[in-house]
Amino acid sequence: MDIFALLMWPIKWVIEAILVGFHFLITSLGGDPGSGLTWVLSIVGLVLVIRSAMIPLTVRQILSSRKSLEVQPEIQRIQKKYKGKKDQFSREAMQRETMEAYKKAGTNPFASCLPLLVQMPIFLGLVQVLTDANQQKPGVGLLTLELAVKFSESTLFGVVPLHETMQGGFEIGSLPVIITAITMTLIMCATQFYTQLQIMSKNQTPAMKESPMYKQQRILLYIIPVFLLVSAWLFPLGTMFYWLVSNVYTAVQQLIIINNLPTPGSEAALAREARMARKRQRMGLPAVEGADDEAAAQAEIETKTQRQQPRSKKPKSERE
Amino acid sequence: MKLMLIPRNVCVAILVAYRAVISPLYGDVCRYYPSCSRYAMEAIQQHGVVRGIWFGTRRILRCHPWAAGGVDDIPEPRRRFETTRAGFVLARKEQ
Repeated sequence: MDIFALLMWPIKWVIEAILVGFHFLITSLGGDPGSGLTWVLSIVGLVLVIRSAMIPLTVRQILSSRKSLEVQPEIQRIQKKYKGKKDQFSREAMQRETMEAYKKAGTNPFASCLPLLVQMPIFLGLVQVLTDANQQKPGVGLLTLELAVKFSESTLFGVVPLHETMQGGFEIGSLPVIITAITMTLIMCATQFYTQLQIMSKNQTPAMKESPMYKQQRILLYIIPVFLLVSAWLFPLGTMFYWLVSNVYTAVQQLIIINNLPTPGSEAALAREARMARKRQRMGLPAVEGADDEAAAQAEIETKTQRQQPRSKKPKSERE
Repeated sequence: MKLMLIPRNVCVAILVAYRAVISPLYGDVCRYYPSCSRYAMEAIQQHGVVRGIWFGTRRILRCHPWAAGGVDDIPEPRRRFETTRAGFVLARKEQ
């Protein structure tokens, strides 16, 4: 066993345990153990378990970005100082100062790439587990030979084998497989596009939108669907179901976050404030809670960053 | 001198491609400045492939949701190499 397989072993074991657990649960609730639907539901269960296990990470991040609201006046002061300066050195200096300000306040609005990195070996593990099962090989743990055979022979609605790829569908000329694969790809593209667009257009501050990163993101928004199409061509339907459900989960989670806990200073945050104000009006309360405090905070932000040049009191004509 | 720089320029090319295509997919997420990929690129430019990858790996391990973040530059080399705008290393030291 090489080192890579050794590293993947525990991940695959857990994935198999969750899959088989859900398969057992659904079968005992009256599901057909050989049906594709049972396996698809097991995959849905796997997504729910894995993504729910990651909720603490997400919540921690949201709370952290809430806390960064307190640093907002300082951040706005820095942004004002560098307003209109778009050269590389000013941008760098601005980012340095911003990061320092966050560090000083003991908060950070960024999540780090860990939440993304942990998902990669999980997806890889699932691909390996399903590939082995498709070849009627037993897994590393609870996925026995009997279950592997059942998985590889399972079909959705009796016509769409879960181990088939879009490529395979075209080769054998199976219309149901092609239709299922294309429908899934379209839903995947749509959810991905929607999530990305929501994050970009609503949950970013105007300062974020000025960065060169933002422009690249805009271009990629239209390239991602192409990538998805290529991967959909190659991956078996079973794996695609995992991806699809995961995407939908992200989209829903994003919608909840944007509506309830938007990034301070973004369009979504302004929309939320407006909603809250309307609600307060309906309830007969003053439009904004603590309006005076906000005005004071605004005045503080207006403090000058550059010294005003002294002016002579004499009129121009009398100057020497 | 020029031949010595080929390995690090190959790594720089990979990182440039990564930063242009994959990085923007998930936007600004790094808790440090410069970001991990930029840090790794600078480390490889100035310290060479072996030490650069070592520094970069340690940085990625440092960057997690519990880290304080902030400004974190690469260990300063004795003399910096000059680089092109894209990031490729030239066979000249900075004056």
